[in-house]
Amino acid sequence: MNATEQIVAKARELLESGTVECVIGYERATDGVNARPLFVYQAEEAGKLIFDQTCAHNLAKYLLNRKGKATAIVAKPCDVRAVNLLINEHQVERDKVLIIGVVCPGMVETKWGRVSEKLRQACELCREHTPVVYDFLVGEPGDEEAAVEYPDVARMEALSIEERRAFWEEQFSRCIRCYACRQACPGCYCSECFAERLDPLWVGIRIAPSESWIWNTMRAFHLAGRCIGCNQCERVCPMNIPLSLLNRKLEKETLELFGYRAGVDAETPAPFATFRKDEKLEVGE
Amino acid sequence: MSDYISRADLLSWLEKVSQSRDLVAPVKIEDLTLFQKVERVEDIVFDPGNTDLSPKEFFFPKSEVLFYVDRSDGRVELVPAEVEQETVIFGIRPCDAKGIAVLDLPYLEEPADALYRQHREKTTLVGLSCVSACPECFCTSMGTTPDDASNVDIMLTEVEEGFIVQVVTEKGKALLPEGLLSSKEVSPPAAPSVASVPSEGIAEKMHQVFDSPYWDRLADRCLHCNVCSYVCPTCYCFDVRDLRSGGRVERVRSWESCQSPGFTKIAGGYDPRAAKGPRLRQRFAHKLLYFVEKFGVTHCVGCGRCVRSCPVNIDIREVIQDVQGLGVKSEA
Ligand code: SF4
Ligand code: SF4
Ligand code: SF4
Ligand code: SF4
Repeated sequence: MNATEQIVAKARELLESGTVECVIGYERATDGVNARPLFVYQAEEAGKLIFDQTCAHNLAKYLLNRKGKATAIVAKPCDVRAVNLLINEHQVERDKVLIIGVVCPGMVETKWGRVSEKLRQACELCREHTPVVYDFLVGEPGDEEAAVEYPDVARMEALSIEERRAFWEEQFSRCIRCYACRQACPGCYCSECFAERLDPLWVGIRIAPSESWIWNTMRAFHLAGRCIGCNQCERVCPMNIPLSLLNRKLEKETLELFGYRAGVDAETPAPFATFRKDEKLEVGE
Repeated sequence: MSDYISRADLLSWLEKVSQSRDLVAPVKIEDLTLFQKVERVEDIVFDPGNTDLSPKEFFFPKSEVLFYVDRSDGRVELVPAEVEQETVIFGIRPCDAKGIAVLDLPYLEEPADALYRQHREKTTLVGLSCVSACPECFCTSMGTTPDDASNVDIMLTEVEEGFIVQVVTEKGKALLPEGLLSSKEVSPPAAPSVASVPSEGIAEKMHQVFDSPYWDRLADRCLHCNVCSYVCPTCYCFDVRDLRSGGRVERVRSWESCQSPGFTKIAGGYDPRAAKGPRLRQRFAHKLLYFVEKFGVTHCVGCGRCVRSCPVNIDIREVIQDVQGLGVKSEA
């Protein structure tokens, strides 16, 4: 059985037995070539489910809308780390989520109506093709995974501060503050985001470079040590802002300083949620 | 015989236009095509295909100061903002031009929005017919056509090595110098065929299915990310805030969307449209029902941008089709 057939069979079984009320997976989009999220509530509808290299959406975000309700989710390795993040941060209960993990072939670059054969950058750099946790696995688990590398971040670090500033100024100047990055991000679930707070006012409502700069940097810092690298923010950004570069820089720093990667398990306390007396990180070193 | 201009003459005319006014046209910015102030006329993109954002921002900017509050000698003065610059938008497509005509309905209805009216008065629209249609467009189902010249000041249609020119308004005529156009024996290419959507009677159907569980199911996958509203040529909602800037206070308005959290939150924190289904339904009910009831036209021109840009494929063409189907079932 291929991945799609296994997912359809599992979803049908879970819904028929009443183990879950809903299976969140993918179906074909209206352009005929891409995928879109699908919520299946009836076993008869499980046949619509698909899985292929266009299933780039991280469905973990949707678990936040189904708190306390038994839900199965089709999850790639990065999506599974998002589920772990949400469990670790007490947003989702492990026993309400049934993870249909998928051994991931990597997702490809797509546009509306077009699918390429080129892997997405995040997938090209990803070293984890088998989910770290699952209740049911689709596909054959691979060998030991290689260590994560950050060639994109290294290229950025090689530039001078002035060059980096100019680069980001130009990128952020395009931001239209739609907040699609936040809405797609599994780590952005605050009931009131700082961007909408009035008191204190963190950032004004202008859609202009000065405010966009604050918005994008603050959001990046809120994801430091929490971003699981699914790259949804960049995928959904209508202005093609390379947000993953910021997130991956912070991921790299967190890994180097604390030996921590978000979502690898659901228990290890996050560095920015803990304080240890023996930590003596000299500022600016 | 048609009025005609060669490509080379068009570019040198645009060059002249850009010396006395802001010339705005589609240009490439990285992978995006956007309407922007043109620095060099050679940068203008003539390719078929719609820009990633609509040109609405030249009438309804992403952010704009409405007025300033100045204080001096213990007195407070309100200074209204003014639009000074004359602008020419080149290469606007019939759907986007219709989009501006749609924006006129709420914004120019008395009492008109002062800044919108000034932007409108100071801007001339030079349109470009679509000689091919994108697969996501459905303009002919939404009250316009790929060669509709009725909402621009001058309309161009590409033919071999040049363009057929239709001067539509006095404003358009005033922009063209004497002797720029020649007469030529050319006929316009056939308008491309555009996918159709069953939009007939949609407002009535929307009314009937208002309480359908369909909206909750559709909203399951919506991220409420605002992308659809921000790319749309007809979405016109904004938020207003007073901000301190230098020694004065500015009243600023910025784009907002009915999909954003807290859009309908009122004093005391109650939000009548907090749930996902009613929130997403608002987008379609406004476009296909309320606006039609108030102004007699749909609040969608079929440009296809939201179809292309929604990260989870909430496709207004499919919604229209589904709603028509739901209506039939509820009658049976
Ligand atoms: S998705 Fe892109 S354009 Fe929208 S707020 Fe985020 S960075 Fe800005
Ligand atoms: S940007 Fe920060 S405050 Fe806003 S939702 Fe994300 S984590 Fe929360
Ligand atoms: S673009 Fe799509 S996901 Fe985003 S708010 Fe609009 S319909 Fe919802
Ligand atoms: S609703 Fe969609 S298709 Fe209609 S005008 Fe707006 S962006 Fe274009």
